[in-house]
Amino acid sequence: MKQGANKKKVAVYTATGCRTCEHAMVDLHYEVNPLTHWAEVVFWPYLLGSAWEDLNGEGRVDVCFFAGAVQTADDQAAAVRLRDKSQILVAVGACAAFGGLPGLANLSPAGPEPEAAPEPSPEMPPLPPLLPKVLALGSVVPVDYVVPGCPPTPPLLWAAFQAVAGLGTAPARLGYAASRLPGPVAEALAAGLLPPRGSVFAGDKAVCASCSRVKEEKLFRRVLRPYQAYEESGRCLLEQGLICQGVATREGCGGLCTAVGVPCRGCFGKPPAIVDPGAKMVAAISSTIDSSDAEEIACLAEDFVDLAGTFYRYLLPSQCLLMATPMTVGKHEDHNP
Amino acid sequence: MKTITLECLRGLEAPARVAIRRQNGRCQAYLQTTSPRPLAQLCRRRPVEELPRLVTLLSPAHHLAAALALDRLGEVTPPEMAQNMREGLRLALTYRRHLRKLYFLLLAWENPWANGDSLGSRRRSHTFPPRLMDDAWRHLSLAQEAVAILGGRFDHPVTAVAGGVSRFLKEEHYARLAVIAGACRDFALSFSDFLASQVFLWGREEGWLAAELPPLPSLTLSTPEEQFVRRDGRGQEQERFTAPALWEKVGRHQEPWTYEDFAYFREQGWQHLEPTSVDHLFAVGRCPGSTAAPRPAPPPRLARWNASAASWGRCPAGSWRRRIGPSWWTSCRPLNRWSSSIHRRSSPARPSATYRRVGAGRPRRSWSRRPAGSLSRFGSTSGA
Repeated sequence: MKQGANKKKVAVYTATGCRTCEHAMVDLHYEVNPLTHWAEVVFWPYLLGSAWEDLNGEGRVDVCFFAGAVQTADDQAAAVRLRDKSQILVAVGACAAFGGLPGLANLSPAGPEPEAAPEPSPEMPPLPPLLPKVLALGSVVPVDYVVPGCPPTPPLLWAAFQAVAGLGTAPARLGYAASRLPGPVAEALAAGLLPPRGSVFAGDKAVCASCSRVKEEKLFRRVLRPYQAYEESGRCLLEQGLICQGVATREGCGGLCTAVGVPCRGCFGKPPAIVDPGAKMVAAISSTIDSSDAEEIACLAEDFVDLAGTFYRYLLPSQCLLMATPMTVGKHEDHNP
Repeated sequence: MKTITLECLRGLEAPARVAIRRQNGRCQAYLQTTSPRPLAQLCRRRPVEELPRLVTLLSPAHHLAAALALDRLGEVTPPEMAQNMREGLRLALTYRRHLRKLYFLLLAWENPWANGDSLGSRRRSHTFPPRLMDDAWRHLSLAQEAVAILGGRFDHPVTAVAGGVSRFLKEEHYARLAVIAGACRDFALSFSDFLASQVFLWGREEGWLAAELPPLPSLTLSTPEEQFVRRDGRGQEQERFTAPALWEKVGRHQEPWTYEDFAYFREQGWQHLEPTSVDHLFAVGRCPGSTAAPRPAPPPRLARWNASAASWGRCPAGSWRRRIGPSWWTSCRPLNRWSSSIHRRSSPARPSATYRRVGAGRPRRSWSRRPAGSLSRFGSTSGA
């Protein structure tokens, strides 16, 4: 594609989230200077101060990167509007992809408004109402591609930009990402073609496959919490007793957190071979408990704290079989480019 | 009842706003955000150690604040190395955030994403020297690398846990952090010089910068001796005192419109707020009663150059900027270099940064394959 000609129109929006995904995009822009050669950002409220009216005169947007979970009626309306306006809709970050940390609100009912909140008035209009539960983007509108992570790592984010907006114009810098992407996605990326719809820009295996820690013998003897002292030996954190979710989490980050002694938190979602990540974690731990004494096992089980919030930390609205809302990722035909 | 409402807020969707109300002599501030809310609902029934990561929904600073809260909850004092790492992480995050905002502030005249490349708009004439914008991005990346070393990730740091940090630093990390800190410090000083001599100069000429800030004194904590160091606006040390004597030396003044206290030195008393030439903008009288020194006079040759630059004026605005902008900067560059060399020669040598070393644990394989002297992905800047 000739640089500068026929630029793709790109929109970026964050619903309920921390906007770190947008920061990651800004840092990506530093990393890859040619981004603006083939993409033109036409709507980005956070960075450019764009208003919704700016979208009216733009015609159709080629690619929309949507970050953040859907928690309010405004979020829902924004998702629907950007879906209608965009040819390709990409869910960026764990919140848009799975519900993310805001999805933990589904575990407990909403509390009262803070005392300092003034009464709604013309000068102080009310906040947009909360939906009954937090949803992932794919539960509201069909999503074409997913870039998981909290936030997505720069190589994977750049790979997604290249694949859906750049169509392989600068594949030279994709070495890291291509080695972690599923085969069909990496091949499409290198060939300058759109990856299969519904692709996830992350690996197919579990984080354990790329974690640098040494796995010796899976025997679970005790439960440790992150603030408790543990052996700093480079050994697998799960074997040491920390609840590390690497075994039930899709790889792609390269084991960033485990490399600095923090157990994997599952922000990349589950790998395709796993049905329910929480069930997988229960199976992985319970099958390696180093005891056959029922009382001892019962004592060990009592040490676990907040299993639902831990095993479904980022995934509750979309990947917990008991609480998930059905999602549509890459199956719709109405918005083909 | 009086109400002050601030809206719209950049980065927050409407109807986000700040409302400050005063009723019966009592002030109440209310920040209304559309998301994420309600945060308390996310944190309820979660283990306490989850807080440092959950509250990063707000900003990375909350990661450190939550870890600090957990330290106090557990009544533990993190080891010195952990405290240093947390402080280093905070500084690196602050540096990155400020530099990123300054970059977009300086380029806000044009959409930095609109056309050409963003790195200083090399292919377009621009108000500011392209090299400066390049350097800003480069040092932004260096600060980001420091964040990754200290926090474990580029964004959403994870290393601060209750009672300390989750990792130790290796010798390579110390060496790399020292190189990064030195480079970022030098760039910050040169950038501030540029802002003072170029941007603020034009601002005062054009009238949009009406206030002139006097040199700022500082009060810093010297950790090895556990003493507070008071310096004047030129960086000269005025006095030292220990932590128990802090509140004997420093008083706090409360204004009804803010919950933030104003600190002042008791021996000189509260100096009150002074109106400035800009409406609704007030300055605290003479730098909170400190020994604020008058602005040091520039060296004579630098003063002559400043007068010369002022007579040149700024690069013409409007369509002329596109036409003559590059040649304007080409013409100004020798003058800028001359000015910088005068300034360097006439300024007292800045003390080099010192870094404390803490036992780095057992040796492990190298974290970075780059040699310690190389600075960035753009190539070596061995002069830094």
